[in-house]
Amino acid sequence: MKKQEILQELRERFKDEIVDFFEKSPKRVYIEIKPEAIVKIANCVFKEFGARFNIASGVDARFHMEILYHFTFDEIDLTLSIRTKLDKAKKLEIDSIANIIKGADWIEREIREMLGIDFKGHPNPKRLLLSDDWPEGVYPLRRDYKEWDKGAIRDRGAD
Amino acid sequence: MSIKLKALLKSPWVFHLSTGSCNNCDIEILDCLTPRFDVERFGMLLAGSIRHADVLLVTGSGNRKCIPRIKKLYEQVPKPCVVVAIGECSLSRGMFIDSYNCPVPVDKIIPVDVYIPGCPPKPEAIIAGVVKLIEKVKNKK
Repeated sequence: MKKQEILQELRERFKDEIVDFFEKSPKRVYIEIKPEAIVKIANCVFKEFGARFNIASGVDARFHMEILYHFTFDEIDLTLSIRTKLDKAKKLEIDSIANIIKGADWIEREIREMLGIDFKGHPNPKRLLLSDDWPEGVYPLRRDYKEWDKGAIRDRGAD
Repeated sequence: MSIKLKALLKSPWVFHLSTGSCNNCDIEILDCLTPRFDVERFGMLLAGSIRHADVLLVTGSGNRKCIPRIKKLYEQVPKPCVVVAIGECSLSRGMFIDSYNCPVPVDKIIPVDVYIPGCPPKPEAIIAGVVKLIEKVKNKK
């Protein structure tokens, strides 16, 4: 499948879900979609177009919590980043794609504990990286993270 | 000097514990043990189990998940033992000092006898540190 075919097909099939289309370079395309449509579009890109799920990344932006799902088409050298924006004022939740893409399991768990985004329908919503004594509701990679541990020492013992 | 301590100094067996380091200090420790620097000529040997070791080499910044494990390992070392902190991370956490996951340096978790600074310390520095440690324990009586 050629690059133009893929993009054309996506454009036609998901007219209502795609918010923004941005070709940053010949190798990189960003598609902003509505958060509700992620399972549908990820399924199409992964299962039908045969893309590889590379990684997802969570970004704490000013007004939105963004999740970017990076898909790569290795044989035509194209990276497709599907961007979803979650409004910070509302409840931070999105449908999990770990049920259709097994590789998304761990990164969704990591985003959940680092940024506090709830992935609905995740098969195994446990902690991945943080220790067990980490308090609930404290998310270390958020902008408004504050030191919560009273016992932490933040100097080197010398001036 | 007690017989236990004397035996310890003749051939200290080391155990290597990485508490979330970038692996560079670990590579330098391996450099010490392998033929180029050959720390085995001082009788030092890498032990496979913590229960056979006399010296605990700690590298890395000691993150939250590692803290209970460091304590657990320290409980299992046959005493008397010495603990050597290797690298800037285990001394003061280096660049990770403000990290949410590194609350305290290693010497606030277990007692540390020797500090070897550097990022990573050269194998020469590690050998010098260990030799100084042996001297120190010898003179303590």
